[in-house]
Amino acid sequence: MNRKKVQWTAAIALLLFCGAAYLYNGVLYKEARNIEKEEAAHRLAASQLLDAYKRDLSASDQSYLNKTIEVSGKVTQVSDSLLTLDSGITCTFGKMLSENIVGAKVTLKGRCIGFDELMEEVKLDQCTLIQ
Amino acid sequence: MKLQKTRLLLWIPLLLGALSANAQKYITKTGSVKFEASVPSFEEVAAENKSTSAVLETATGDFAALTLMKGFRFKLALMEEHFNENYVESDKYPKASFKGKIEGFDASKVTTAEKAFTITGELTLHGKTKKVSSTAKISKSGAGYKITGSFMVKPEDFAIEIPKIVSKKVANDIAVDYNFVLNKQ
Repeated sequence: MNRKKVQWTAAIALLLFCGAAYLYNGVLYKEARNIEKEEAAHRLAASQLLDAYKRDLSASDQSYLNKTIEVSGKVTQVSDSLLTLDSGITCTFGKMLSENIVGAKVTLKGRCIGFDELMEEVKLDQCTLIQ
Repeated sequence: MKLQKTRLLLWIPLLLGALSANAQKYITKTGSVKFEASVPSFEEVAAENKSTSAVLETATGDFAALTLMKGFRFKLALMEEHFNENYVESDKYPKASFKGKIEGFDASKVTTAEKAFTITGELTLHGKTKKVSSTAKISKSGAGYKITGSFMVKPEDFAIEIPKIVSKKVANDIAVDYNFVLNKQ
């Protein structure tokens, strides 16, 4: 009888502890998305993405906004941690980039954060180079 | 006659050159916009967007900026999620934009020493537009201009409802800091 009580208490305590740990790590202080490790929802050419946004902004937001996407194109500009693909997709990286990749054809992965109407550019953040 | 025509043609690039010298645009794609809505002794409520675009027309003092809401990064993933999903609804309203004027801007009077100017204009976010005014420090930075400053906004001005349960942890007056280094286009 007494032993059973102890077992029950232990089980409940364990459950409470797991619940609290889950709440703490899984909800309150959960890890941010890791775009680098996420599977891309879309794979397309930089020009395709830009055209889609210029044609229909809200429909493109529906399909691409906040999604991890893989984009290929020619690097037209590099400054610090910013890379521009085909003069229309601005990609932010977490680290400084070397300027000698200007002109190269690359594929990169990042999260689409929307269309910048001031610059007429699509923006991606948390980018990583794939090749 | 033919000579006259060629002469006329020669004038065109000169005229265009003069026009473009008048309408000089300075831009940035990496402007920083930070906001701070922390309340002392509670978890820090702050985020920064380092990829804000801005355009300054030096001839007129016209200034415009655009920032994508999803580009605001928080220290805590949950806070970022709440910000995007519940507060600014960034799926529905993906951007915040400002359009205004730097009062009395005169490019020839701006030096490497910071000078105070007043920027007034309209800030649009979460589908609402409000007039804002800010004292900005403007200085020459290399061949471009540096503009920094801050202003205060209230969530209710933009129809952003802070649930009662967290309202004590989010400031009523939110400080927005900006920092732009604009270079010639």
